[in-house]
Amino acid sequence: MKAVEFKNISKNFGNFPALTNVSFGIESNSVHCILGENGAGKSTLMKILFGMYQSDGGEFYIDGNSVKFDSPHDSIGMKIGMVHQHFMLIDDFTVLENVILGNETTTGLKINFTEIRSVLNDIINKYNLELDLDSKVSDISISSQQKVEILKLLFRDSGILIFDEPTAVLSPVEVKEFFKIIDEFKRNKKTIILITHKLNEVKLIADRVTVLRKGEVVYEEDIIDYNIDLEKLAQAIVGESRVSIAVDKSSENLTNETLIQLNSINLSRNNVKILDNLNLSLRKGEVLGICGVEGNGQNEIAEIITGLEKDFTGDFKNNNVNVSLVPDDRINKGMIMEYTVGENIYLKNGRKFIASSAILDDFSDKTINEYDVRLTNNKASLGSLSGGNQQKVIISREISAGNEVLIFSHPTRGVDINATAFIHSKIIEERNKNRAVLLISSDLDELVSLSDRLSVLFKGKIVKTFDPEELASYRSDNKISLTPDIEIKKEKDNQLFELLGKLMIGMAD
Amino acid sequence: MNLKTKINLISISISLVITLLIFSLITIIIGQNPAEILSIILNDVFATGYGMGQTLFKATSLIFCACGLAICFHAALFNIGAEGQLNAGSFVIALIAVYFADLPFPVVFLLCLVSGFIVSGIFGLIPAYIKIKKDVSEVITTIMFNFIILALVNFFLVDFFAVKSTMRTEKISENFMLTKFSDFMPFFSGSSLNISFLIALAVAVISYILIYKTKFGYELRAVGFNKTASKFIGLKVNKITLIAFFIGAGLTSLSGINFIFGYKGFYEMGFSSNIGFTAIAVALLAKNNPIGIIFSSLLFAILEYGGLSVNQQVPKEIMLVVQGVIILAILSVDKIVNNYFENKKDF
Repeated sequence: MKAVEFKNISKNFGNFPALTNVSFGIESNSVHCILGENGAGKSTLMKILFGMYQSDGGEFYIDGNSVKFDSPHDSIGMKIGMVHQHFMLIDDFTVLENVILGNETTTGLKINFTEIRSVLNDIINKYNLELDLDSKVSDISISSQQKVEILKLLFRDSGILIFDEPTAVLSPVEVKEFFKIIDEFKRNKKTIILITHKLNEVKLIADRVTVLRKGEVVYEEDIIDYNIDLEKLAQAIVGESRVSIAVDKSSENLTNETLIQLNSINLSRNNVKILDNLNLSLRKGEVLGICGVEGNGQNEIAEIITGLEKDFTGDFKNNNVNVSLVPDDRINKGMIMEYTVGENIYLKNGRKFIASSAILDDFSDKTINEYDVRLTNNKASLGSLSGGNQQKVIISREISAGNEVLIFSHPTRGVDINATAFIHSKIIEERNKNRAVLLISSDLDELVSLSDRLSVLFKGKIVKTFDPEELASYRSDNKISLTPDIEIKKEKDNQLFELLGKLMIGMAD
Repeated sequence: MNLKTKINLISISISLVITLLIFSLITIIIGQNPAEILSIILNDVFATGYGMGQTLFKATSLIFCACGLAICFHAALFNIGAEGQLNAGSFVIALIAVYFADLPFPVVFLLCLVSGFIVSGIFGLIPAYIKIKKDVSEVITTIMFNFIILALVNFFLVDFFAVKSTMRTEKISENFMLTKFSDFMPFFSGSSLNISFLIALAVAVISYILIYKTKFGYELRAVGFNKTASKFIGLKVNKITLIAFFIGAGLTSLSGINFIFGYKGFYEMGFSSNIGFTAIAVALLAKNNPIGIIFSSLLFAILEYGGLSVNQQVPKEIMLVVQGVIILAILSVDKIVNNYFENKKDF
């Protein structure tokens, strides 16, 4: 029995075909992964299923019945629910208020809170969501916010659950938790559709995978007992133009000159301690990785070093250098969506007071060529580009500023394989140019393969720093693979990962 | 022409058509023939050089104010205080011109330009500073400053500077008056149109270049689009806020030049007749584009001057209604047109 069946779905945006004759089915009570590069059409397809877009051609069936959705209202009525990449929550409301918003069970004008509470608490217990109904959404972590979104769907009793890159914002520990919840869904006869970039996750959790490329289905396979050829899958995703860059990081140019020094830094916000006696030094020609569950002080470290955060105590030394930052949240912090590629770069790096079109074009052409940014025309606003391309532009802007210190915060979050490999090669290139690089990430593969030194951050404190020798002892060779996702991890790596995982949640000393 | 300009032109045109329809409806309801009313207005404005001159004269002050406001609006700073700011600057302009009557004209004129600009600018800086330091919305503070400034000017004028039993300063020297268009183009004879109009056109062009073609303009608009990102990109958001407010408020003082040097020769309480507020609508109608502001100022000037001429047929408040309807129409139509185009290209 198919929960969802697409038949010849097509969708065009202007002259751009986003989906062409897409046909495939999703078995009910299964986990179905949809893979593809940025801009392959995954999100568009899901938005059609969710009723946010209407297809130009073709039709689809829910439980065997042909349906037509004019808005998400219709799809919600058919028990379809979606967790978007950017959560749709109201920060100032409590978990409870967010969940019942739009679904209030009322007697007359009064909302029946006692009944709702008991229903919600049952769901929370059943799926082990660990949520407090009365916390404000702005006070809880990203992973808890995701659980609020999940709770919303369960409260509406959705049978088909769509997740758009759910693990992009989660730490490894949280990912495991999330998978447990997914398993529980399956046990409860729900159908789960997962959009993701991470192949290892597909292997762990999916029953079937469909790969989209340039709006067409190019690959489909069942996964039985975790058996799937990841190499083949990766090939299907990126097609012929597969880049596989291996940068040799061995070139030793560590001068040991310290550029940034943080000594016993303390920082509190609303009486909550964010940084606790933190010590950190950043040297020329190294990548210092910061590993940790999100919200343990990573952003604050970046903001102190860039000079955006001044409200701290302790000793912060900047050896007269300028700092560039690729922020964690590209949409809100990283760019002006209304500006073109050239304008975004001119905004930071332009030296001339008059912005002639020659200058703007020059900035734009350089970035588009060097970073292989894909866009419909050079005057397109950055907001209309896919996430991976936006990220490339931001990274180009920050790198070309030519500053001695570079901070990359989650540089490849939600970015496809090709772009990830490219961004990694750029980070190493900067390191080899004797720049100091601070890499903040929750992706352990990324951290382990790029970092010279690796510090683990827990509750605003660095609990452990791996120096280069120690890291090397875990590594099998000096070459790093820039597409770590598809590499089958060596045993040594696994030891390191396990240790890191424990350190990150404060379980080891 | 890029898509953005096209969308703007389409939505402005639709709004104007809607406004025309509503205007017609209202005139019909009060028992008049809309075509007739319109023809009286157009006839009065365009048939004579005097009408055209008066209309351009009114547009001049609007252009100055609206350009200033546009600079603030582009940085998402909602300066509602132009009325106060322009009065402060104009008052000082008149005083300086009166009290330095012995100096040569170019010196006095320059002195007036600079000091008027600075005084108006400072009254823009205060709300900006409060916003930066204490995060108080500039909407509240600028509105309040309108009352404060008008009261202060009133006090100083009445108690110290006014000509007895009037609400105006003394007249500035006749030699200081700016050349009127009628002096070299008899066509405009009788009207107050003076070379301030040319200054206004220049200000609009310079504002346009400043906003759209310079580094400062890009920073200004970036702050307006996304303040957080601007901070992270490394822009000095506070500095930009202060500069935008200073230039924006400063420009409003130029409407005093038009009135004092170009028309009456003195500062008079209430001379501005709310152009500080009308300019908000003018800037909005033009989507804060200074070149567009030239045209929207002309439109509002036509409405204002034309409103006087149909006073016998319809109450002059009708023109206020029309001004209001234009704004409402543009705000709503804009959304619809933008959504329409977005759905066509978005992915």
